[in-house]
Amino acid sequence: MTTDFLVVDELSKSFGGVKALDRVGFSVAQGEVLGIIGLNGSGKTTLVNVITGFIRPDSGHVWLRGKEITGLAPEKIAGLGIARTFQTVRPFHHLPAFKNLIVPLYSSRIRSAAGGGRWGDRDAVALDLLEEVGFERDSSVPYKPAAALPHGYLRRLELARCLALRPEVIITDELFSGLSSSEVSSLMPLMEKLRERGITLVMVEHRLRELFRLARRVIVMEQGRKIAEGPPQAIVADNAVRETYLGAEL
Amino acid sequence: MLRSIFIYGLINSIILALTAVGFSLTYGISRVANFAYGALYVLAGFAAWVLLHRLALNYYLALFLAVVFVALVGAALYRFALIRVRGMPISEIIVTFALGTALVELLRFFGLFGSAYGLPPLRRATLQLLGVPVDFQRVALVVIGAVLILALWLFTHYTKIGLAFRAIAQDEQAAMMVGIDPDHMATLSLALGSALAAVAAVVVLPLGYIAAESGSNILVFAIAVCILGGLESPAGVIVASLLIGYAQILSVAYFGPHYQMIVALLAILVTLVFRPSGLFGKQKELEERV
Repeated sequence: MTTDFLVVDELSKSFGGVKALDRVGFSVAQGEVLGIIGLNGSGKTTLVNVITGFIRPDSGHVWLRGKEITGLAPEKIAGLGIARTFQTVRPFHHLPAFKNLIVPLYSSRIRSAAGGGRWGDRDAVALDLLEEVGFERDSSVPYKPAAALPHGYLRRLELARCLALRPEVIITDELFSGLSSSEVSSLMPLMEKLRERGITLVMVEHRLRELFRLARRVIVMEQGRKIAEGPPQAIVADNAVRETYLGAEL
Repeated sequence: MLRSIFIYGLINSIILALTAVGFSLTYGISRVANFAYGALYVLAGFAAWVLLHRLALNYYLALFLAVVFVALVGAALYRFALIRVRGMPISEIIVTFALGTALVELLRFFGLFGSAYGLPPLRRATLQLLGVPVDFQRVALVVIGAVLILALWLFTHYTKIGLAFRAIAQDEQAAMMVGIDPDHMATLSLALGSALAAVAAVVVLPLGYIAAESGSNILVFAIAVCILGGLESPAGVIVASLLIGYAQILSVAYFGPHYQMIVALLAILVTLVFRPSGLFGKQKELEERV
């Protein structure tokens, strides 16, 4: 296990006068699950957007496997194996669910991989992935346009779309938001399975109870800065964190 | 009279759909309004003419190579010019319009327009359809247009690259996130749109000869169809082609030939006044909050 699989170093980003990220740094080991928590506006989504290439940082670096990826285009970063989900689900609404998963097969990452999505078996590849994330294979659900699916399925669809990229890292941005408790608990085994499979997970999350079951290490952000880092038990006990979350259930 | 209006209206509609589909496709995928579209149409005509009459190639080979050549020009248009002004719609229109105009004027400068420059039809023959005499080229054109539109539908629904086209049209960022390169897709969309302009040219131009005005006429017709149908809507292209196609033939039959252009311009005007997003246009979805 290398501890410097994904390294974020001194990232800063300002929007106008607002420091969305203020010298944020951390590292993630391969196969680790890292949680990132913090109140709304603390810079979590900006952090995800910088790592995945949607926003260029003012300063700082991101490394993957010792190779600098700062400022690369999003599709290049995805090509290196970092997949993400969005805070609000963003499926390809007018494509049937399973065809959402054929799109990543056209990426350079999969095209260059051996046997990546040949004619004929690509539909099977997509349907297998959907089954893996909990779509009923023999129902009509995988064939429905994404726009017609309920929210819980769309979250799963986004995860499956990440998996279609055969990623090494998946960054989730509030994966559990907008889901009912039963939907969250049915999603948990899937996340555990991904962890067991050795996929590195970086989870920006508001649902702390579920996050603390998955992540062994958590980072707390406040106003663009990292104010605490440690295992969940330590985070819960941390005074600064308690202060930030004053009134919030911890 | 009615039967001939029905048949020639259909032919005219297919011609419109053929000429508009490439413009619509490029815009739908990459949001580039390719105002060099008409010039590429004319260029395809000349490329085919040169290959046929100067290099004396086989008819089908010449048409095929002309289409490939124009596709490459379209791809180059993106790679070398549009990529620099990407995301600025007004600049994209100015760049494509300027290069298109320059191309047409260059051809005019060398005197390459007039009745001497025409493409031969597939076959010189006349058929009877419902008792109406129709030349073979027009019948072939209807078949080619229908097959092409069907092929495009299959392409965008069943191939990986076609699905990637639709994905990037629906949500560019989400497509980038799964490794789809927007510049690569935009290059392909310009190449495909230009190739479709070229196909339209090599099947429609044999009905007349290659004129300098062909370029701007084709551009206006394509824009009229796309605006009435709703930009980026494939179904809109078909419906709008039928509407404008029949309206043109009816007005030409009852009022006079110059009404063909008036109908197209009226379609643009009326759509923009009463339903700016077109018959099948959709409202833009809200951007994700960052």
